[in-house]
Amino acid sequence: MMTLTINKKKVRAKKGETVLEVAQREGIYVPKLCYLKGVTPYGGCRLCLVKVKGWEKPVTSCTLLVEDGMVVETETPLLKRLRRFSLQLILSEHPHACLVCEKRIECADYQECIQKTAITSGCKFCARNGNCELQELIDYLKIEEIPFSFKYRNMEIEKCDPFFERDYNLCILCGRCIRACQEIREAGTLDFHHRGPETMVGTAYGLPHLESGCQFCGACVDVCPTGALRERYSKWEGVPEKSVQSTCLLCNIGCSIDLKINDKKLINTTPTHEQICVRGRFGIAPLVYHPKRITQPLLKKGDRLVQVEWKEALAYVAETLKAYTGKTGILFTPQMPVKAIDSIYALARHLKSTIAAPLALDAVVRPFDVKKFERGSVILIVNTDMVSDFAPVLLHARKHSKMQHRIIVIDAVKSRVAEMADLWLQPRPGKESDLVRTLFAGGRIGKSVGVSQEDYTSCRDAVKEGPVYLLFNADNMKGMKLPKRVSVLPLASSINTLKILEMGTDDSAERVLKDKSVDCLYTIGVAPRLDRKYKRLIVQDSFPPSFDFDLFLPAASFVEIDGTVVNINGKIKRLHKATEPLGNSRPDLWIIKEIGKALNCDLTKRTIRRKRRGKKSQLRKITVTKKYPLYLIVRKNSFVYRGHMLSALMKGFERLRYDNRIWINSATARKLKIADGADVRVIGQAIDLTLPARITDHVPPDSALIYAHPSLAISGDQSVRIECIKS
Amino acid sequence: MRKKARKDFRLHLLVCAGTGCAANGSFIIKDALEKEIVKQGLEDEIAVITTDCQGFCERGPIVIVQPDGIFYHRIKKEDVPHLVEEHLFKGRPVKSMMFVPSPEEPAIPRLMDIGFFKHQRLIVLRHRGRLDPENIEEYIGFEGYSSLEKALTRMTPPEIIKEIKASGLRGRGGAGFPTGVKWELCRTSPGKKKYIVCNGDEGDPGAFMDRSVLESDPHTVIEGMLIGARAIGAHKGYIYVRSEYPLAVKKLLIALRQAEEYGLLGENILGTNFSFTIDVVQGAGAFVCGEETALLASIEGKVGRPRPRPPYPAEKGLWGRPTNINNVETWANVPVIIARGALWFSSIGTKRSKGTKIFSLVGKINNTGLVEVPMGITLGQIIYDIGGGIPDGKEFKAVQTGGPSGGCIPRELLDLPIDYEGLSKAGSMMGSGGMIVMDEDTCMVDVARYFLNFTQEESCGKCPSCRLGTKQMVHILNRICEGTGGEHDIAFLEEVGRSVKLASLCGLGQTASNPVLTTIKYFREEYLAHIREKRCPALVCKSLISYIIDPQTCSGCTVCAKNCPSAAISGEAKKIHTIDQTKCTKCGICLSVCPPKFKAVKKTSPAVQ
Repeated sequence: MMTLTINKKKVRAKKGETVLEVAQREGIYVPKLCYLKGVTPYGGCRLCLVKVKGWEKPVTSCTLLVEDGMVVETETPLLKRLRRFSLQLILSEHPHACLVCEKRIECADYQECIQKTAITSGCKFCARNGNCELQELIDYLKIEEIPFSFKYRNMEIEKCDPFFERDYNLCILCGRCIRACQEIREAGTLDFHHRGPETMVGTAYGLPHLESGCQFCGACVDVCPTGALRERYSKWEGVPEKSVQSTCLLCNIGCSIDLKINDKKLINTTPTHEQICVRGRFGIAPLVYHPKRITQPLLKKGDRLVQVEWKEALAYVAETLKAYTGKTGILFTPQMPVKAIDSIYALARHLKSTIAAPLALDAVVRPFDVKKFERGSVILIVNTDMVSDFAPVLLHARKHSKMQHRIIVIDAVKSRVAEMADLWLQPRPGKESDLVRTLFAGGRIGKSVGVSQEDYTSCRDAVKEGPVYLLFNADNMKGMKLPKRVSVLPLASSINTLKILEMGTDDSAERVLKDKSVDCLYTIGVAPRLDRKYKRLIVQDSFPPSFDFDLFLPAASFVEIDGTVVNINGKIKRLHKATEPLGNSRPDLWIIKEIGKALNCDLTKRTIRRKRRGKKSQLRKITVTKKYPLYLIVRKNSFVYRGHMLSALMKGFERLRYDNRIWINSATARKLKIADGADVRVIGQAIDLTLPARITDHVPPDSALIYAHPSLAISGDQSVRIECIKS
Repeated sequence: MRKKARKDFRLHLLVCAGTGCAANGSFIIKDALEKEIVKQGLEDEIAVITTDCQGFCERGPIVIVQPDGIFYHRIKKEDVPHLVEEHLFKGRPVKSMMFVPSPEEPAIPRLMDIGFFKHQRLIVLRHRGRLDPENIEEYIGFEGYSSLEKALTRMTPPEIIKEIKASGLRGRGGAGFPTGVKWELCRTSPGKKKYIVCNGDEGDPGAFMDRSVLESDPHTVIEGMLIGARAIGAHKGYIYVRSEYPLAVKKLLIALRQAEEYGLLGENILGTNFSFTIDVVQGAGAFVCGEETALLASIEGKVGRPRPRPPYPAEKGLWGRPTNINNVETWANVPVIIARGALWFSSIGTKRSKGTKIFSLVGKINNTGLVEVPMGITLGQIIYDIGGGIPDGKEFKAVQTGGPSGGCIPRELLDLPIDYEGLSKAGSMMGSGGMIVMDEDTCMVDVARYFLNFTQEESCGKCPSCRLGTKQMVHILNRICEGTGGEHDIAFLEEVGRSVKLASLCGLGQTASNPVLTTIKYFREEYLAHIREKRCPALVCKSLISYIIDPQTCSGCTVCAKNCPSAAISGEAKKIHTIDQTKCTKCGICLSVCPPKFKAVKKTSPAVQ
């Protein structure tokens, strides 16, 4: 501990702290723009200058480490003058007509100005108006005029990318976005380019973010002090009034998020304290207010769907389910609160119906905290592109070079994480599980796996001892014997997976769908492909399924309900209601309970845990034949909400991920004369689909990749043939 | 070996092959000389040798005949037969090719009698024109690497530092931080791995001191770095040279390779346990990379952008490890100090600035070139005694020291002795040693604008004060030069200039406004003339000048009218011509084509009330 004096106040500080941090802790305000907690101090904005006794020149407090006995002053006339000078210069390149307007307070009240300020000169049309750090600083430094000539950069606003847009005319070059991108997210998409008066922020070669490897985590948007980086969706929604902490349900990690509310409406979501991904940052608010969302109960009367009251809808459900007792199949999404899952099990038991959650996994799971990897451990990533799918977890894996983690990737498909891994084994498609099994069981690796003995040996040596974390996305990890020190997580599973494994599912979704005895299907947040007709179809969801139904029960989204969920670490996370359910939609739990009431069934009774039925699943052997010459890799898609692919609902996700397409190796595509974006027919023993193609080198030759999804009804890898139907 | 061979010849012709002379065709002269000597059958008596830079670059190509030390300059290919026949064959030195200080004075045959050389004191440039930089043996022949041997075998690292401290050597890069203190800070800084860096990123326009040292005596720098590494405890050194200096890079690489072959670099140097290697890193030519933290970032492969200090490089430099960074000239001083002792070195110079300093003397001066002078010499001595005064009998107006961000020192301060403190007191700085002389035809507002434009473009863009403050100052200066400035602009310029100095992070921003502040301080009336009278006294600022034809002397020869590109001149033959000011683009062609016997076209800048 050491003592220093700031503005005649004696304060204590720890070694390694900066003067700015100490001042902030002590409640001494020092203006700043380029300072960002948790990243390397930049010392570029020159606003946090302080005077240190014995030093000739003022020095930036954000970069100044404390020393014992230091005497610091933060508010001398000279410092005030220099701060005003720097800010005035910054404003000579930032539209400031409204910033220094003497009428701006009245103007803010009446939302009106007789002086016409255009988008290029004023604040009125800036997305950050009222929530801008420059506005705060101008008030603090009492700047009333800019004595310098103003230069509008006249740069085109970059609107080519999804989720957020960039107006570098407003950029003040504080470099916060760059440091967030490079240091916090380790993405390295942004940096300064050019120098001197031409300095600007951007991507390499000025490419659009989509082409420069950006994963749209939004960390840059969150740290921008001006309106230069702004979220598209909430751009004109104003300053949030309140913030509600909740949990993101869009993957199994369940990150804490802040729901930002304005005028009783969710405007956007931001990370609470840790990093989140594109789903949680940009995906939630557009989902809630999606134009396709149905918010009224709909009942089929004759050939038409008619809007009905809940009373009528519930009566219809109760009647139908009663009539089809023992002949009902229930499919439900794990993306709802634990209590709703409990209730639906109770209801299923009451109705003697079969029940399954299609995204649950039948696999070894040994949960661990994905934010705490043990020192010196090996992180084995199988068949998952962590960079695009689980970036927050990957950040923890990579975070401390001191932790000496090793990242090993086993994947037939080339991915971003494979490129940055310490070691990447690229077996032939479908051989990943064989490889993992041999890795822990020992023995030589077969030639058919397609991995060099040398790579295999170094990988085996790495996982020989010490903690190993196995993160995978593969169906055929079933029944694998692994040593105790290996922690296992099926990453691409859904939230509440642990809950559902604990409950035990009767059957896989596939079996429920194939069960001939099921006459009535009740789906909750699942939109499967139906191959046969049902006598009754009841859908409980937010978005319409692809099939015809008899009744639609509009479910509330997860920002509109209270509850708890279990994430992949086994941790219970809370959902908090931030807004009222939209329209006439209701929480899943409420709907299930109402059905229970109508059926006179007590849903509060906990279902006895059932042992999982079924034999040990056999590994399917996939052989490529003349008829089906291509190996189709099927990966679980982790960008799904209640059975709907995010890319099907939001164009941005489609442009980012191409996961609604079939990925075809470029050489293979050339052979088959398939152009990028062309519609192709995929024919296999059990499937016949039509999808647009994406030509890529990420997939190995003579193979293709599909992100599995209930509406495609593909269960696993298989051999197929592909025909081009339209280019 | 060559040294031995040299004794076998009657005469040696030393042809300067420095960049300046080479550009002026010294290799053509060398070929011609060799051919002519063979023709005359003198090849067994006379050797032609290329040497490094002599410093008197303006007069190139230069040939010196040894052992007499006869100095020939501005030799043309057609002069060669005459020279060979007269001097080499008949033994009669050719007066017409010798240096003539002024038309009234006689030619000076010997190099050491020429003012340019006579008043210099060579320490860093001690081997100037005497050795082949591509041959390590020549350097060793001049007792090269004996200081290293002394430092390694007869001195402990603290003793080396003590010696350097006692010598009073200060950083020659500009800031003048005591070198010994810097070394000690780095030595005592905790850490096993340490680096030393040689800053050869010479970005000042018109400066070529570092280039010349690296090209002509690379081993001095290497030896200095070796001694420094020993003193600090560094294992690895980097020489950062701009890639615009290909010859310096080439010679450095040759020197490094030879030093390695001779066991002077690498493992267990000279049989001791001291190991050290040097790499050359080429900069991409950003001026700001001469700033030490930006330079270190550049070596690390990052963008050359300064970072705040502390931590100083001595604590956290390259890759976070203690690093000592010194200028080329500083390193080159080290072997001499070790060889001849601190006492000798500190006997040269002033109380607080010891030793010598190299300046590149350029601009409106007779003897352009590289000069090494003892500290304490006055500006007047450099300009008149060494530089030979201003050409064409023009008046001296100002001298700018310290590169683009130095200040302009006026005539009144010509007696100012040169040292670090004296120059900063005058509002300028030592800088790395650029010295630009300006005569009466120079407009000081225009000069300030020129230099500020340079620093503005070369700013890294980090601090608003430097990135935008300098730009705003350029705006104001443009305004003044165009005649649209207001009187308040001067006070505003001063205020902005002072704030930029205080608010900027690195040396570039902290000194960028020097040219403006000093020109306002010393040449305020010129600013006022631009503002109040819309007049440019030096007749430079285009917007404020006009070309007129004197009706008294115009003979109507029509030359000006024929050559005017914008058809602004009218008049019939044998009648007085006039210039239509609305059409005139002020290109000045009429002035240059008007026959000297008439001198009818005149450049004026009349006062506007």
